Amino acid sequence: MFSNTKCECGHQNHAGTVLCESCGKPLTEEWAGNPETPLEMRYDGVARRSQKANPDLLDRVWNFFSSVKVAVWLIVLTLIGASLGTIYPQENTFLNLQTYQEFHDYYKEHYGTAGVVYHALGLSRVYSSWWFIGLLVMIGTSLVICSLDRVLPLYRALSKQQIRKHMQFISRQQVTYSGPEPVNKEAWLDSFGKELKRKRYKVWRDGDALMAEKNRFSRWGPYINHIGLIIFLLAVLGRNVPAWNMDQYVSLDEGETEQIPGTNYFVKNEKFTVEYYTDAELPPTLKGTERPKLFETKATLYVCTESCDDPSKDPVLSPVKTHDIRVNHPLSYKGLKLYQYDYTPKPKLVSVSPMLVDKKTGEQYGPFTLSMRNPALTYRAGPYTLTLKDKFMDFGLDDQGRPMTKSREPNAPAFVFIIQGPDLPETGETYIYFPQQIDKVKFRQDVLNKAIADKLDIRVPSMSGVVLSENTSTLNVRVDRAMPFIWTGAAIFMIGVAMGLYWHHRRIWLRFDDGVLSLGAHTNKNNYGLRMEVAAAMTKAGLPVSDKSLDNRRKSP
Amino acid sequence: MKRYRKPIQYIVLFLVLLIGGYAVGHTLFASTAVLKTGDEPPAFKLLSLDGSVHDSAEYAGKPLIINFWGTFCPPCRDEMPALQNVYERWQDKGVQLVGINLSEDKLSVESFARQVGAHFPILLDRNRQTEKRFGLKQYPTTFFVYPNGKIEAILIGGPLTEEQIEAHIEKLVAGRS
Repeated sequence: MFSNTKCECGHQNHAGTVLCESCGKPLTEEWAGNPETPLEMRYDGVARRSQKANPDLLDRVWNFFSSVKVAVWLIVLTLIGASLGTIYPQENTFLNLQTYQEFHDYYKEHYGTAGVVYHALGLSRVYSSWWFIGLLVMIGTSLVICSLDRVLPLYRALSKQQIRKHMQFISRQQVTYSGPEPVNKEAWLDSFGKELKRKRYKVWRDGDALMAEKNRFSRWGPYINHIGLIIFLLAVLGRNVPAWNMDQYVSLDEGETEQIPGTNYFVKNEKFTVEYYTDAELPPTLKGTERPKLFETKATLYVCTESCDDPSKDPVLSPVKTHDIRVNHPLSYKGLKLYQYDYTPKPKLVSVSPMLVDKKTGEQYGPFTLSMRNPALTYRAGPYTLTLKDKFMDFGLDDQGRPMTKSREPNAPAFVFIIQGPDLPETGETYIYFPQQIDKVKFRQDVLNKAIADKLDIRVPSMSGVVLSENTSTLNVRVDRAMPFIWTGAAIFMIGVAMGLYWHHRRIWLRFDDGVLSLGAHTNKNNYGLRMEVAAAMTKAGLPVSDKSLDNRRKSP
Repeated sequence: MKRYRKPIQYIVLFLVLLIGGYAVGHTLFASTAVLKTGDEPPAFKLLSLDGSVHDSAEYAGKPLIINFWGTFCPPCRDEMPALQNVYERWQDKGVQLVGINLSEDKLSVESFARQVGAHFPILLDRNRQTEKRFGLKQYPTTFFVYPNGKIEAILIGGPLTEEQIEAHIEKLVAGRS
């Protein structure tokens, strides 16, 4: 099939050429054999670049990826793989699970046997599996190689077209005309050419042969959209580069500042607010339930400027940005984005400002501010000095009756002071203080404090002396440096698609032989439009034809 | 154009192998947050109860035990005496023991250590950062690290007995590298 590469016009064609690169004569048996059918005009009949008579290993690999059939299969397999990943939630959507066993148990518990199979087959992490990424890489390779193999020969073929085409090439186009030549051939050609120019064709003449062409650039559309896709794919793969991608969660009580792990940034939750729908706004079935309408974290982002890596000192922070973070309104700073992810309504004590009260005289001293986390160790209240000796965040007793904390959260804080002052021993008296009234009663503060409980009391005079965090806000911290490239790729893709879709490459060839005018025209899209254009130009030039009569596909029986 | 065909094919396929190899390799060898035997523990640099700063680098080349604990965790309290006894017996032989507290106030930690008689070096984590890097789920968790920096065992839960701890120390000291 590849042996007959030299055309009768004398042009030496590449192996695999379907239509002579110069005159357009059909070369292969398949196409030369049946003169009635319209020609296959794909890539103007030129050979794909890598087609060779004796391919070596490199050529075989290359040819594999150069095949559109292979590309279609790769895309189908990728689509099937991607759709399998949507049956159950993927592993990376669970924040609390990490090990294989934990995931196994989760899928088993929620989805039964199907879940176990799903997890065992690795479908619970499709998008980061070696085979899925492998398929994407292969599609990318196929895009590059398919495009390269087709765009270069096509470019070559279109940039040096011969004006006078082979008779068979003209008569076997999808749009054709054949009829007696007009009386004044030259004048008719001039006026036909002028009509085509008015329709923005470029017109070339070679003796009494004519060629007209417009919108050739639309042929590059598919290749430009492939460039966009390749940029897109590379950007997606680029997300694997650690510096390009970060996805973390930070939970903050109100007033709390925490470092964003792996960065030099700190974030503070200044205030969290949640607004619920009123009953009037809810449908009947949801009335009486708490439905959040808006939740918002007033956050400040800090950058650490000093002592960032020195645990013996507190880091020196300087604020860089303040923002009200709401769903879909992240705080954004230099590629770092903080999204509102979740919140937990759980009131926690942050600090109290109590007074020291002399129970006998009723005199009050203070107030002094007692912070739940990292409190100061000594306090002055009038003539008294309070030294903090011990502190329990979540007071309780262990199985041997010793005081202990049950957790790290200030659920039932207790402070153990040594109080020194008038009427008290030199070494001071121990005083245990529960800031929350409920704990004071539950753990019987006055009984624990014995005699001193009759003399002194520590008490918060009003609610203004209490700072509470109503909610814990969870923020999702993300860096995605691939995004600009994804948008660029997508934009280039759209430009390519628009080029290929909204403009049509149209060509018309015409020649005279022994008093017969033969015309053939080709387009890759919208034959109807091309026929209208050709018929209108011929009619205006003085040779009336109907657009229907030009349709070669319906002419033959 | 034709003479460039071969080099272009080589360049394209080379780039495919390079980029594709990286992408596929990443999926195969991606490290998870969970530490396991044979891994190297993450680095840390923390303040100790005595006010000095300790960097994990200073334990390189020595058998190391890292015990994560909190005052809120009864088994942590219960295994403190065992850790202290073992530490006294092995510290002269170069065995290092650090107890990393789970981001509690220094005051609470000091008072607790005094009560349970823990005098081995105790480091203070801040904002749960070290704990997160070690991927802790339960307390106490104890890491036994060979002198070459690889984890020999991770014991989750407690309390540990002196025999348990010493069995692991003997492996560390025997030092399969």
